[in-house]
Amino acid sequence: MFEIFEYDFMQRAFLAGVIIAILASVSGTFIVLRRYSMMSETLAHSALVGVAVGLVAGYNPLWMAVVAAVLSAWLIEYLRSSFALYSDAVLAILLSGTLAVAVIIVSLGGAFNNSLFSYLFGSILSVSDEDIVTIAIFGSISLVLLLAYSRELYFVAYDEEVAKTSGMKVKFLNYLLVTVVAIIIALSIRVVGSLLIGALMVIPTVSALQFRVGFLKTISISLVLALLSVASGMVLSFHFSLPSGATIVLCVLFLFMICLVANRR
Amino acid sequence: MSINHQVPIFEVKELSFSVRGQKILSSISFEIFNSEYVAIIGPNGGGKTTLIRILLGLDKPTTGTVKLFGKKIQEFKKWHKIGYVPQRASLVDSSFPATVLDIVNMGRTSQRKIFSSMTKEDRDAVDDAMKKMDICDLKDKMVGTLSGGQRQRVMIARALASRPEILILDEPNTGVDAHSQKNFYELLSRLNKEENITIVFITHDIGVIADDIGRLFTINQKAIICNDPKKAMSCEDMSKLYGIDAHLIHNHKHEH
Repeated sequence: MFEIFEYDFMQRAFLAGVIIAILASVSGTFIVLRRYSMMSETLAHSALVGVAVGLVAGYNPLWMAVVAAVLSAWLIEYLRSSFALYSDAVLAILLSGTLAVAVIIVSLGGAFNNSLFSYLFGSILSVSDEDIVTIAIFGSISLVLLLAYSRELYFVAYDEEVAKTSGMKVKFLNYLLVTVVAIIIALSIRVVGSLLIGALMVIPTVSALQFRVGFLKTISISLVLALLSVASGMVLSFHFSLPSGATIVLCVLFLFMICLVANRR
Repeated sequence: MSINHQVPIFEVKELSFSVRGQKILSSISFEIFNSEYVAIIGPNGGGKTTLIRILLGLDKPTTGTVKLFGKKIQEFKKWHKIGYVPQRASLVDSSFPATVLDIVNMGRTSQRKIFSSMTKEDRDAVDDAMKKMDICDLKDKMVGTLSGGQRQRVMIARALASRPEILILDEPNTGVDAHSQKNFYELLSRLNKEENITIVFITHDIGVIADDIGRLFTINQKAIICNDPKKAMSCEDMSKLYGIDAHLIHNHKHEH
């Protein structure tokens, strides 16, 4: 089974996959507890606008995806906090709206081809050295920020108002969380794809929640499940010539069902 | 018990609050001093919770001023001196991944420095708070599995972990059985008398107020402050405020 590491592209794919699994599961814990699960889908679609601009204008699509996702995250957070009602409607509007914009940009630019397709469903095997460097740099910054503020973010997720009354800068923390998540999503779409990244962020945490354990254990279980799914998904996709992103998501779904059954009351 | 009349913890002057032209609170003025024990009562929709939200900085008054520990609320920074136990304390999302210790630790979060883990001082404050609330044996239990009374003690322990000088409790007895309620009021009394913590709690249930509260605020858009609650129990103003024939039921545990 280890012959897959004989290929350079598989080594890169594994490295990228492991980094993304760590980033997606750790940030996913905060996203799920904060009840922002749908936001990961919306941000993934927004990131595609950046990819489209990058492909058409000839910039690095990954960098442009980060910019587009972060801007969209700020817009969502602004709308959410200013107009408390219908925040899920805001997500739904941006979810389809940004995808439409991305498709139009790409088709106007005459680049509606495999490139965009690979960002929709992920193309872990075509990850370049440059991609790895980008993912590693932005990923570490995001992870350090998340861990630095993890206790504050946990408190805010549990009870935003009490966190506010204890003197925490809740607005800053909310913007910090959505910014970091936007960056992580933009980095991940190269690996699992824009349509599938939501699963890798949300499902490991929801699976871990089935164990009904404390915060640290939940985040650890979520991390282990994400790593397991990425590793097994990549091995399976290599051996059976399946699309990597979708195989990873099926693996995480399978683990979710095991957790569900094992912890049923 | 000596009451410090130097600098009030809360100093509220001519406070009014309106939402979309509708008056919720109208020119309310009062002071609350160190180690007082104050109950705020009033009908639902009378503005009790709004008043508390303003005191906690969650809402801004339309007119009037609020000072905390002698400082204007806009400039007040030492929020850890104020412990807040919200209304839904007993209605926690039961699937949230939090042990009792996780929750009580939150009480130290706002005072910690970034990148630093819990200091000895933090751990002592958390231990202390759990001992006072008698929940040490529940430390590793998931909050979602606790009874209403136990959860309430956990929420108070979280507030106590920041070593506050005042505790504010909003409808603390929602979802708590009668036996726990009795213990709960004894506990508040003890915190007030032994630990010298100022207590302010609100309730719409005028039947459960204990004998030993110091002052009673009745809020229904305006405030009526009774400095001697025992007299207030027959106070005609109360009936007027409620618009019903209201009377308070004594808690007889202290009678001889």
